[in-house]
Amino acid sequence: MRKKLLAAILMFSLVGFSGLSPLWAAKPVKLGFTYIMSGPFATYGQFAKKGALMAVDEINQAGGILGHPVKAFFEDSTGKPDVALRAIRKLVYQQKVDCLIGLDSSGVAKSVVPSIPQMKTPLIITHAATPDVTGNVCNRYTFRISLNLAQNVKAAASLAAQTKAKTWTTIGPDYAFGHQSWEYFQKYLKEIKPDTSFMSKDKVAFPPFKTSDFSAYITKVMQSKPDGVLVSLWGGNLINFIRQGSEMGFFNGDFEVLVTLGAATEVLSALKDKMPEGLWVGSRYWFLANQSALNKTFVKNYYRRYQEYPSYNAHGAYGAIYTYKKAAEKAGKIDKEAIIKALEGLKVELPVGTIYIRPEDHQAVTDACWGKTAADPNYPIRILKPMKIFKGVDITPAVSQTGCTMK
Amino acid sequence: MESLVTNLLNGLSWGMLLFLISVGLTTVFGVLGILNFAHGSFFMLGAYLCMQVMHVVPSFWLGILIGPLAVALLGIVIEKFLLRRVYDRDVSFQLLLTFAILLVLDDAVRIIWGAGYHVVDAPKILAGTIPLFSHSYPVYRIFLIIIGPLIGIALWSFFHFTRWGRIIRAAAVDREMAEGIGIRVPLLFTAVFAFGSWLAALGGALAAPHQSVAPSMGESIIIESFIVVVIGGMGSFPGAFVGALLLGLLESFGTVFAGRAQMALPYILLALVLLIRPRGFFGREA
Repeated sequence: MRKKLLAAILMFSLVGFSGLSPLWAAKPVKLGFTYIMSGPFATYGQFAKKGALMAVDEINQAGGILGHPVKAFFEDSTGKPDVALRAIRKLVYQQKVDCLIGLDSSGVAKSVVPSIPQMKTPLIITHAATPDVTGNVCNRYTFRISLNLAQNVKAAASLAAQTKAKTWTTIGPDYAFGHQSWEYFQKYLKEIKPDTSFMSKDKVAFPPFKTSDFSAYITKVMQSKPDGVLVSLWGGNLINFIRQGSEMGFFNGDFEVLVTLGAATEVLSALKDKMPEGLWVGSRYWFLANQSALNKTFVKNYYRRYQEYPSYNAHGAYGAIYTYKKAAEKAGKIDKEAIIKALEGLKVELPVGTIYIRPEDHQAVTDACWGKTAADPNYPIRILKPMKIFKGVDITPAVSQTGCTMK
Repeated sequence: MESLVTNLLNGLSWGMLLFLISVGLTTVFGVLGILNFAHGSFFMLGAYLCMQVMHVVPSFWLGILIGPLAVALLGIVIEKFLLRRVYDRDVSFQLLLTFAILLVLDDAVRIIWGAGYHVVDAPKILAGTIPLFSHSYPVYRIFLIIIGPLIGIALWSFFHFTRWGRIIRAAAVDREMAEGIGIRVPLLFTAVFAFGSWLAALGGALAAPHQSVAPSMGESIIIESFIVVVIGGMGSFPGAFVGALLLGLLESFGTVFAGRAQMALPYILLALVLLIRPRGFFGREA
C-alpha cells in the first residue's frame, strides 16, 4: 500500500512539475550586446541597454521567441576595436549567444566587422553609421537595421536642394564620420543641383574630436560667408558647438544650417531651451515622427519605464531584438544560418516604421525624419515641427553605389 | 579686422581658462614635486559640484564659491592619506597613484551624476552678448578675459608680498632647508595641494557655462595644461601665464592659417621648446 502511495505521489509531482510554465523548461535564446558602457560615451551604451531590456521583458512576458525565453548578455566595448573584438569573442565562444547585436562607434564597427564571419554568428548593427559595414567591408553575417550615414546625408542633401543656398561649407568632427558626411553631402547635392558650389579645404572646419572650445571654428565658418552649413558634429561636441555658436550669432539666420544629428534626445535634453528654434535637424529615430500605433505604444511604455523619451540608440537595440524575433519565426527555428537567410529580404514593422533588409548588402531600407526645432509646452525639450519624413526608398543609395560585393 | 579681433578674443578667453588650470598644476609641481595626473579630474569635479550647488540654489556665484572649496577639501584628504605615502618613492609611483585617482574620480562622477551631458547657465549679468562688428560676442568670454589676469595678479601678489607666499616659495626651492628653519613642511604641502585643487576646480566651475559638463571634461584639458606647464617652465607662475596665453592664441589663429595642421601646433611648440630650451620659458635650471 505504501509503495502504491509513493508511486502515486511521484507521478503526481512529475505531472505537476511538467505542467509548470513551459518557459522554465525551454532552452533560452541568448542575445549578446556590445556597446560603449563606460568612458565619456557611456550614455550611448546605456540608452541602448534600456531599449534592449524593455524589448526582452516584453517578449518574455508574451511567451518568448518560438517559446524560448530571451536572455540578454551585455559587454562593454569601451569604444576600442580590440576590446570590442574580445567582448564579441567572449559572447560567441563563452556565452554561446545565438545572435550579436550592437556597435555604436563607426570606428569600432569598421574594425570588427571583417572578423565576424569566422565566428559564424549573425551581427545586427543598431547604431554605427559608417556606410562601409554594409559597403566595402560587408559580409553575409553582418546586418544593419539603423539609418546609416549615406541615407541621412542624402535626406540632408534633398533638404539643401530645396533652399536657396548656393555655396555650402561644413563643420564636422575630424575623423571618418565628419569627412564622410561632407563627402557624401557634396556628391548627393551635386546630383540634384549641379550648380551648387562647396567651400575649399582651407575654408571648411573639422575641429579635432577632443575640442571643447569651438569658437575659433565658429568664427572661421562665419567669416567664410557661406549660404549654407552642414553640421555633422554630434553628442557633447554638438552641445558645446550649439551653445557657443548661438552666443556668437551663428544661428541668426545669415545662412542655412543643417544639423545631421541634432534631433538626438541626449542633445535636446541637455540643451533644453538653449537649443535654437527653427533649426533643421535630423536623427536616426525621432520618437514623434511615426504615427503608427506600434510607435505610440513604444514611446508611451518607454516613457513610463524610464521617464524619458526613447533615443535612437534605445530604439535601435529594441528594434534589433524584434527583428531577430521575426526572422526566427520566419525561419521556424533558432539556428544561426537559418536566421541569416530569414533576415535577408525581411520586412519588419518597428517603431520607426516598416524596414526592409536588403539581401544584397544587409542594410535596412528605413525612413528618415528631419524637422525644424520648435518649442512646445507639452514637452520639456525642443520637438520637431514641421517634420519631414524621407521614405527609405528615396534616400537609400543603390547597392551598386555602396561598394558591397557580397552577392 | 573682424576676424582678427574675434580670434584674438577667442584665444585670450580660452587662454585665461587654461591659465587657471595650469597655474594650479605648476604650483603643485613646483612645491611638492608631484605631477598630478588627477588635476583634470579636479577641474571636472569643480564643474559638477558647481552644477550641483546650482540645482539646490540657482546662483552661479554660490556655485563657484562652494564647488571649488569642496574640491579643496577632497584635495586635503587625498594629500594627507594617499599622496603623502609616495613623496619619498620613485616618481613612477606618484604618477601611478595620481592616475589611479583620476580613474576613480572619473567613474565616481559617472556613478553619481550619470554618464550624460549637463548644461550650466551663466549668471544673468554675464549671459548676454555684445555686438561685435557685424555679429555678436558673448559677454561671458569677456568676463573670462578679465577675470584671468585678476586672479593671476592676486596669486602673484600672494606669492611675492605675503609671508605665506614666501614660505611656499622657500619650500619649493629647498624643502630640507625650509624644514630646518622651522617651517612645518607637511602642513604646507597639504595646503598647497588643496590650493592647486581649488584652482583647478575654480577653472572647472568657470568653464561650466561655456562648455557642457560631462565625464570627459578633464581628459581634454589635462593634456593642454601639461603642455602649458612644460612650455612655461615647471613650477613657474609667469610661465603658466605666458604658456597658456600662447597656446590659446596659437589654437585660435591656427584654425585660420594652418588648416588640418592646426591640431599639431601645440605639440610642435612643445617639441620645439623641449629641444631648444627644455626648462621652458621661465623655468629654473634643472
